Amino acid sequence: MKHWLIAGMTFTAIALWSTTMTASPADIWPSDGEEQRLWLRAQEEERVINESGLLYEDPQLEAYLNEVARKLQPPDVLRSVPIKILVLKDPHLNAFAFPNGVIYVHTGILARMENEAQLATLLGHEMTHCTHKHALKAFRKLKNLHPVSTFDACTQDTPGRSRDLVTLLGSTGALAAITGYTRELETEADQVGFQLVLRAGYDVKEGAKLFEHLKEEIEIYKIKEPFVFGTHPKLKKRIENCEHFLESCEGEKGSGIKNREVFLKKVHKVILENAHLDLKTGRFDMAQKGLERYLALEPQNARAYYLLGEVFRQQGDQERAKAFLGKAIAIDPAYPDPHKAIGLIYYKGGERGRARSYFETCLALSPNVPDRAYIEGYLAECKEE
Amino acid sequence: MIKKCSCVLLLLMTACAPWLPVGGPYESPSHRFSVVLPEKWMKLRAEDDLLLSKDGPFLQYILIQERRIEKPFAHTRKTLQRDMLAQEAAQVIVDEISSDRSVYDFQIIQNTPARINGHKGFQLVFTHKNRDGLVFKTRYCGILAGDWFYAIRYNAAQRYYFDKDIGAFESILSSFEVWEEKTG
Repeated sequence: MKHWLIAGMTFTAIALWSTTMTASPADIWPSDGEEQRLWLRAQEEERVINESGLLYEDPQLEAYLNEVARKLQPPDVLRSVPIKILVLKDPHLNAFAFPNGVIYVHTGILARMENEAQLATLLGHEMTHCTHKHALKAFRKLKNLHPVSTFDACTQDTPGRSRDLVTLLGSTGALAAITGYTRELETEADQVGFQLVLRAGYDVKEGAKLFEHLKEEIEIYKIKEPFVFGTHPKLKKRIENCEHFLESCEGEKGSGIKNREVFLKKVHKVILENAHLDLKTGRFDMAQKGLERYLALEPQNARAYYLLGEVFRQQGDQERAKAFLGKAIAIDPAYPDPHKAIGLIYYKGGERGRARSYFETCLALSPNVPDRAYIEGYLAECKEE
Repeated sequence: MIKKCSCVLLLLMTACAPWLPVGGPYESPSHRFSVVLPEKWMKLRAEDDLLLSKDGPFLQYILIQERRIEKPFAHTRKTLQRDMLAQEAAQVIVDEISSDRSVYDFQIIQNTPARINGHKGFQLVFTHKNRDGLVFKTRYCGILAGDWFYAIRYNAAQRYYFDKDIGAFESILSSFEVWEEKTG
């Protein structure tokens, strides 16, 4: 009887599992040998990224991003390439797609977007890399250029050769998604992506605005790094692609969906987290813009005011720093970090009495603050005076 | 910064890497610092960096760097400032390392003030992983002295190697002497 019970429970569990699971990259496997190898390589890269601590984990946000992706693609396409969107903690404007349908979007690019139509433009572009097998095309193009070395790398399994294979697949297959594809493949991703966006009812004009944000960042920071819309072809050409597409669909482009409110509701936390990342990388102006944008959405957020205070404190503008840190304290008097930051400003300015008061408040609010040893040192000096 | 270390390590893999046995007093070619090196270790001098290892740099290394404070970092646009507190300098170093995309799962274990032969400084203890998931532990001491920043760090595989040679690092640290004006 007990065995039947266990068997029944197991059967029920399997049945429930099979009905609730959606298709994942592991369930769908390409028949082509070369493509299989690219997918394996992509899975390995995915594992490394997912264990790196760089994933921005927000199930609600991921669900929203995947919902937008599903709106763009017909169900039969999604059955052959199971698209999965994940977010990476990285302030740089980038997104990349692996051949097995896994797409990583940086917090940096999400935080700069204004609405769902811009997000759809990005996802449409990246999904096209997957659905149109751009990684495989790039791999085969390289194989035709270097047939002997590619053949050797793919067929021999000595340690050195294995490393060649990994390098080869890494640079031309899975990793090509990060560094960008050829001009032709990127143009195809633009064109097909725009069509997906238009067909789903979004305002395609928003795609052009996304390019403008990216152009602005390239100019400010003189970016040379791999960049979703910054390479292959150059951004200028990409803007031309967009303009040509807009001309070709004159009359349809202005009536589309933007979904600004829904987008900002889902993404606003990313704006704050990304501003913190911008601050860490010393991109103070981008951090300031992000925080001001976040505060326009969430005007009573003490952490945003604290980070804005830090933006100015770390640049040496102590008066503006104190103003924003003071606002953070006014909103949340129990938040220790702005007390510590104001204490540091007074300490460095030689106003040890005032510094002492803020440091003591900080430690009283948070006795286990990670930099307690520093603060105790400052307090000891303040007391000596 | 860690990427730079990786480049140095890569250089060491080449056959012409100038490994030399060390032991005893060592004075930097810049004449800005001196240190007593442990016996049975090997050293590589590359530009302004002094790299030491006993079992190979992929298992453990001690790296002593001297850099002008205005020298830009690779991963953060923040720079060190002459009037920075040790805590602020430590934050710049943390931001530089944590912004490096080749550093996985960066975790700070300790960030405390430190005094290194009379100089006010900081000490960080942190771990990170490489692509294969191997955990490395680092003890990183930094001091600002005039126009120069000195970093003395010990990095080793967390399992077995870190504890094995931490004594050699502490010995080097206690002998480290900067030949410039002292702060604090």
